[in-house]
Amino acid sequence: MFWRIVAAEARKNIKQFFFTTRTVFWTVALPLGNGLYLYFLYLPFAAKSVSLELNASWYTLDLVGFTLIGQLLYTFYTMMLLAGAAFEREREQGTLEAVLLAPANRLAVILGGALASAINYIWFLFGILLSWVAFVAVKIVVNDPLALFTSIALSYLSLVTLGMCFESLFVYSRRGGMYATMLQEPIMFFSGLVFPLQAMPLALLSVSYLIPLTFALTSLRLTLLGGAVLSDVATPLMILALMTLLFFALSTWLIGQAERKAKRKATLTQF
Amino acid sequence: MSKHNFAVMARQLTRDYISTKRSHIVGRKTTTVIRALDNVDFEILEGELFALLGPNGAGKTTTVKILCTLLEPTSGQAFVKGFDVVKDSARVRRIVNMVAGGERMLYYRLTGRENLEYFAALYDVPKGEIKSRVNSLLELMGLDDRADDEVEKYSKGMKQRLQVCRGLINNPEVLFLDEPTLGLDVNIAKDLRRFIREKIVEEQGKTVLLTTHYMYEAEELCDRVGFLSKGKLVAVGRSEELKRKAPTGFSMEVLVTRLTDEALEGLKKLEPVKKVLTTAYEGEIEDEKIDRLIVSVDSDLAAPSVLNYLSIMRCRVVSVNIRGPTLEDLFMLYTGE
Repeated sequence: MFWRIVAAEARKNIKQFFFTTRTVFWTVALPLGNGLYLYFLYLPFAAKSVSLELNASWYTLDLVGFTLIGQLLYTFYTMMLLAGAAFEREREQGTLEAVLLAPANRLAVILGGALASAINYIWFLFGILLSWVAFVAVKIVVNDPLALFTSIALSYLSLVTLGMCFESLFVYSRRGGMYATMLQEPIMFFSGLVFPLQAMPLALLSVSYLIPLTFALTSLRLTLLGGAVLSDVATPLMILALMTLLFFALSTWLIGQAERKAKRKATLTQF
Repeated sequence: MSKHNFAVMARQLTRDYISTKRSHIVGRKTTTVIRALDNVDFEILEGELFALLGPNGAGKTTTVKILCTLLEPTSGQAFVKGFDVVKDSARVRRIVNMVAGGERMLYYRLTGRENLEYFAALYDVPKGEIKSRVNSLLELMGLDDRADDEVEKYSKGMKQRLQVCRGLINNPEVLFLDEPTLGLDVNIAKDLRRFIREKIVEEQGKTVLLTTHYMYEAEELCDRVGFLSKGKLVAVGRSEELKRKAPTGFSMEVLVTRLTDEALEGLKKLEPVKKVLTTAYEGEIEDEKIDRLIVSVDSDLAAPSVLNYLSIMRCRVVSVNIRGPTLEDLFMLYTGE
């Protein structure tokens, strides 16, 4: 039953997102522009590479690739925020009550929502990748495809489970949208999205280590651009795996709390 | 009788809504407690169609939401088919469903069929049954020819019929209908009422709790009614029984000409008369102004003495209409509105 609900929830959200064919066009066209925008933003610096340090090893990475991976994963992170926003829409359109009225597993519902968001916005990623291939020569160095695949998979899973937490948050609090928006810029800053993490003041690094995006960026940049092998990126990958489990557990707990609170305070239909 | 003998049972059901406000951004918080339900007790029998009546804000929707597990009571207990709506909420959700008035609870960008298939998955309807159940519900509600159109292209009446399909998708044993005909055309509302009575209750034997503030709806449909006023259940019973016991008695609508102040004052003092209201009446007969009197009397046997008195006072009676109390009279009596 769990996976039936996940599939039904995902199908519903995908269908609602791709309501018109224009949506498909814009989801590819917009990030194409975003990718190019970032490229031209960095062009004046005229640097060709950036150095990134992990476990006292230094990697020289293509600067354009470095920034575009940042954009890529940030887009993915935003997708997960949008998964939360989709849940808020349920409250506004009065369907949240109809969903919670059913005996469906709540975790399956939010997992289906997060997966749908990941599928709906995967076209953004294609758009960015297309901009790399079509307009920008990114120097890719892959020495360990398994390490690259594991980095992509764990980045994806950790952000999907983070998306589930956002969804629960949107049931829990009517200010979920505001919190999620407030978090956007700090996360861009702390995750090392636009600059190498070693440039971050030491006192702030502890905040960076709380964000899954930090480890996703490190592992993906090193395996795709720096030729790192599995053992090189074992630490960020293990942390990503732990964070995936943590966010999954947190969203399970949070959705239960959120529903109980909403029933006590009668906030299911308030927005 | 125990909770197992009833489809629905509420005991001392109370629900408070707490709202906090600040006078200004750093001002002191003030808390207001609004009691939406106040120690409400009632039972609904298996296969019964029970109506909760009351004005806006009386607590009807709060009661429904508690019974279908969307809201927790502040105190008291409620059972559906013997299951506690708080402690056994998961089991209650399997056997109930709710249809609300208005145009919520549907996905507008999905087709009618897709909506039903989605909810069928949430209710774990067996895969092999989904297609036939969805088709039969769409056919039953006359939506089969528009099943593959997006809901946003539906009229209000069609959306409401689709909501009923959604409410029946899990074949619930108890169905809650919260103002299901709100905003519908007269004919569509009538069809829906007939469907509820004939198909859902008489044919399928489901228990239905209906909330409405349309008295004729309750009169036409329900086995028993309960009146909610300011969160309290002030009367409950069969409508005929409530009318018989009602202290409002009978009403005579008398159209008269040549009514004098003296005659009116005398009428008010007449023994069987409890109350007299005069209202304006548009019209004349043989150039004489017509007055409309609403005379409350204990029984219809009092009519001859009223008419006799008016004749003695040389008033000319144009027409007389005697009627017993209606649910609307009871509504006004019990809710004060």
